[in-house]
Amino acid sequence: MDQVPNSCMVYTAEAPAGVSESVKQALAPFTVQWSEHPEHGGGGKQAGWPGCLVSGADWPKVFQALRDGAGFELLIDHTAVDYPARTPERFTVLGLAANIETQERLMVRTRVAEGGSVPTLTHLWKSADWSERETYDMFGIAFEGHPELTRIYMPQDFDGWPLRRDFPMQGHNRFRD
Amino acid sequence: MSEVTQTRISDTVEASGSSECSILLSTVKALSSWSRKNSMWPLPLGLSCCGIEFMATAMSRYDMARFGMEVARFSPRQADLLLVAGTLTYKMAQVMTRLYDQMAEPKWVISMGACASSGGMYRSYSVVQGIDEFIPVDFYISGCPPRPDSVLNVLMKLQDKIDRDESYELTLATPKAGAPAELAEQTVLGGRRHGPPVALATTDEHFGQQGPQRSMVRGRKPEESR
Repeated sequence: MDQVPNSCMVYTAEAPAGVSESVKQALAPFTVQWSEHPEHGGGGKQAGWPGCLVSGADWPKVFQALRDGAGFELLIDHTAVDYPARTPERFTVLGLAANIETQERLMVRTRVAEGGSVPTLTHLWKSADWSERETYDMFGIAFEGHPELTRIYMPQDFDGWPLRRDFPMQGHNRFRD
Repeated sequence: MSEVTQTRISDTVEASGSSECSILLSTVKALSSWSRKNSMWPLPLGLSCCGIEFMATAMSRYDMARFGMEVARFSPRQADLLLVAGTLTYKMAQVMTRLYDQMAEPKWVISMGACASSGGMYRSYSVVQGIDEFIPVDFYISGCPPRPDSVLNVLMKLQDKIDRDESYELTLATPKAGAPAELAEQTVLGGRRHGPPVALATTDEHFGQQGPQRSMVRGRKPEESR
């Protein structure tokens, strides 16, 4: 578990090149740290998505500002990553929003500790419903305000969170392994 | 008597000698086995790529209809043979055990392919390591996925098994004491298994109290939407 790398993101206060003015304007009220994915230095329109790190309390407000203020109408992806060595907030929850007209994308991240919760996005996008249930099912991250936060892939009485890095590779089958 | 019950109907026809003979001597057991094995109605539980191979087996090139098995039934009430073809997850195992429980006896089970038989390459938290964790299996087919030839081979072997099957016995059941008078004279042709019933994995035993299965698509009131 110690070999699992921590997040390779480098965050700065300055927005990277490629972030449009409307996004900067929409996110002005919030405390935002900016990043650019180091493996994709930019180039094509869909490469090098800029990202930002926000606090858990700002999480739904940032998406609301992006949707209503900057035209980011589509929630493309919504999932989480586990960095078990990072304390106290081992999980990064991320949502990828897109502006269909300008083809801009922005990866918004927030961090949450084990047993913590993140506000839901279901009031903004219906599509967040199942992806939040999936994140809950796989990582055990609760989403505050979700209409029905239950397991979506695994049986309801399943024990454990399979996509956490400390979940055993083998030996979890109940009857034979 | 035991020798008579072992008689196959094909043997009986040969024993009758002349083709002009209009009397066919057999036993009820042999007759029922003969009709059962030539009118198997499979319930294909196609869970992954093995399901595609099963479809190929049923199509005209391999033509399962030659063995009277072309009537694939998607209702367990009408099926004799549960053909589990593909990767079974623990979540789907609840569905499979329910289907098996809903099938009327006599019933048979074929585990088709590596995944259904042993979990295959999925040694994972979500995949059942062999469907015989839940239901009794008559035949396992190797392969990933098996060729249609293998499926046909096992179907023919299953016919042989039914022909010599001792697990089901035809009985003349008499009404229980206290039955209505009009049934008192009646005898019913029924079947029962020899020996104690097979210990089955029931849903409750393995999965705890869960209540009804949740539908994947839930109705949502308009005011709750965006």
